[in-house]
Amino acid sequence: MQRPLSSQLLPGLLAVALLLPGCYSRDDLKSDAGTTKAAETTETSADKAPAASSPDAEPSSAAATTGPLKQVNVFLEVSGSMEGFMPKTGADAQNTRFQQHIVQFLSDVNRSASAQRKTFYRIKEKPYRDSYQQLETTVREGIREPASSTSIPAILDTLVSHYYQPNAVNVLISDFIYAPRNAGAVPYIKTDITDALNAAGRSDLAVSVYGHTSDFKGAFYPAMKTAAKRINRCCDTDIPYYIWVIGPADAVRRFDAALLKKAPNEQAHFGVKYSAPASSLLNKFQNQGAWYYGEKDASKRTAGASYHTVAVSEVSAQQPIEFVLGMNLQPLPTLYHDLGYLKSNLQLVGQDTDAKVVSVFGATDQTRASSGPEAQYTHFVKIRVTKMGKAARPLQVILQDKRPMWITQWTTKNDSNINQVGAKTFALSSLVDGVAAVTTDEQDQAPIFQIPLTLQPAD
Amino acid sequence: MQSFFRFLYELIGTPQPPADTPVYRQIVFPNIGLLNLGISLALVLIFYYVINKAMGVATFNKLRHWTLFLVLNALVAFIVVVWQAKAQQVTDHSYIYWLATLNAVYGLLFYFLFSVILRKGSTNASTTPF
Repeated sequence: MQRPLSSQLLPGLLAVALLLPGCYSRDDLKSDAGTTKAAETTETSADKAPAASSPDAEPSSAAATTGPLKQVNVFLEVSGSMEGFMPKTGADAQNTRFQQHIVQFLSDVNRSASAQRKTFYRIKEKPYRDSYQQLETTVREGIREPASSTSIPAILDTLVSHYYQPNAVNVLISDFIYAPRNAGAVPYIKTDITDALNAAGRSDLAVSVYGHTSDFKGAFYPAMKTAAKRINRCCDTDIPYYIWVIGPADAVRRFDAALLKKAPNEQAHFGVKYSAPASSLLNKFQNQGAWYYGEKDASKRTAGASYHTVAVSEVSAQQPIEFVLGMNLQPLPTLYHDLGYLKSNLQLVGQDTDAKVVSVFGATDQTRASSGPEAQYTHFVKIRVTKMGKAARPLQVILQDKRPMWITQWTTKNDSNINQVGAKTFALSSLVDGVAAVTTDEQDQAPIFQIPLTLQPAD
Repeated sequence: MQSFFRFLYELIGTPQPPADTPVYRQIVFPNIGLLNLGISLALVLIFYYVINKAMGVATFNKLRHWTLFLVLNALVAFIVVVWQAKAQQVTDHSYIYWLATLNAVYGLLFYFLFSVILRKGSTNASTTPF
């Protein structure tokens, strides 16, 4: 009684077929691809509209501080020293870069959806309320009645005492030439600024400083009047001017992200706090040596998951390991995107290890187009280790808050002969020292961010 | 169980490239191990209890028939590894084929062990392979 073999084997084959799917198959395989795509789209939209998305992406900001800022006050100094930036338009219809830039900036502020109310002021001996059109006309067509010189500490005092509000920022546009009464008062510039900013005792005060230069057509009033009280028909050189954003730390951060995202790298931030950027180790991106993600659930490879533990199976001087940490620095000011700044200020703090930063590099077209997790990150730090502890040890990646180089470069001790000195500002670093004294704890300087990693031997 | 399969499959060294270690240890090793055991057992059951008992086939109980199933089992064990490696998206590496070969060897072993244990219950092949 023999039946055809194929039909006899059928039940057995069925049993095998049932076994095949396996008990550990990953159900997230498909969702993997889907969500990665979603992450990419958010990335690109963040690129296009950093103003709207980056403050919202901030996990640390309280519920009350999301959404647009309540108010932005823009103050333009219109003392005689500012006239050269805003010369009265003559027949040649020439204008300065200051005029082009500030008109654009005022228009951006006025149009911006990231603040509910925008008010504009001219600063003479005290702030005078202007409409947007009036202030814009002043910038375009020149100052009508220049004020006699206004003292920077007095302006700062007024701003922090009378215009300081939660969820609002004050934007001050000025040349920031602070002329102390006499040469003997020069050493006190820092203290004057500190005292002025500290006048109202704002504990969450933050200041962002943006430096720009412009051609200058008019009388220049140097702070040091050793040579002349004023230099007429100035200047052959560019003259710096500054935008200072003053307000509560969170508001300043959001204003910076919304309206000053494209500012050049001549910027400095004091007292502004940033949450740690999104980051992850990348196990298949320029990795070298015997290491893998030490996280328990690393095998699940959930989309968008981030990893911060390096499990090392073998490391020695002959067989070093190298791993890359991807970071999304998009929400931070552009100063901290600068590779030069990152290279000199990114530090590793670890125990029992010789881990060091090999290179810091930005995203390329290749990484952005990659299907791997590296596509989500704007900057990468490559770290090499040849020696490590016998048990798990923390390894911190820290971005130190160092004074950017340009501040010293833009500082002069004597501006009495500005055409020779060049585009520099009298005692700029002292002004900045004064700001730093208020906003930062000099004993314990907080880093801009730190990313904790763990270095552990493989189990 | 993970550590058992890890022991079994890391006799030829740790997974390569090292970055895929968690995937191998937590997913691939248990998968291929369980499948290997399951398929070996299934083929033994088919040989001894389906063909040589339930269906009463009298001409499929020689050593060469048993060996045919043995080799078939090893082949399946090899293919299972390559398929799992693809399914779990591990990086291509010659290690996959070393692992597949090792799994094929384990397939031979499992099939032999199950045969020794289960052959007694078969009607026509209780003395195969010896």
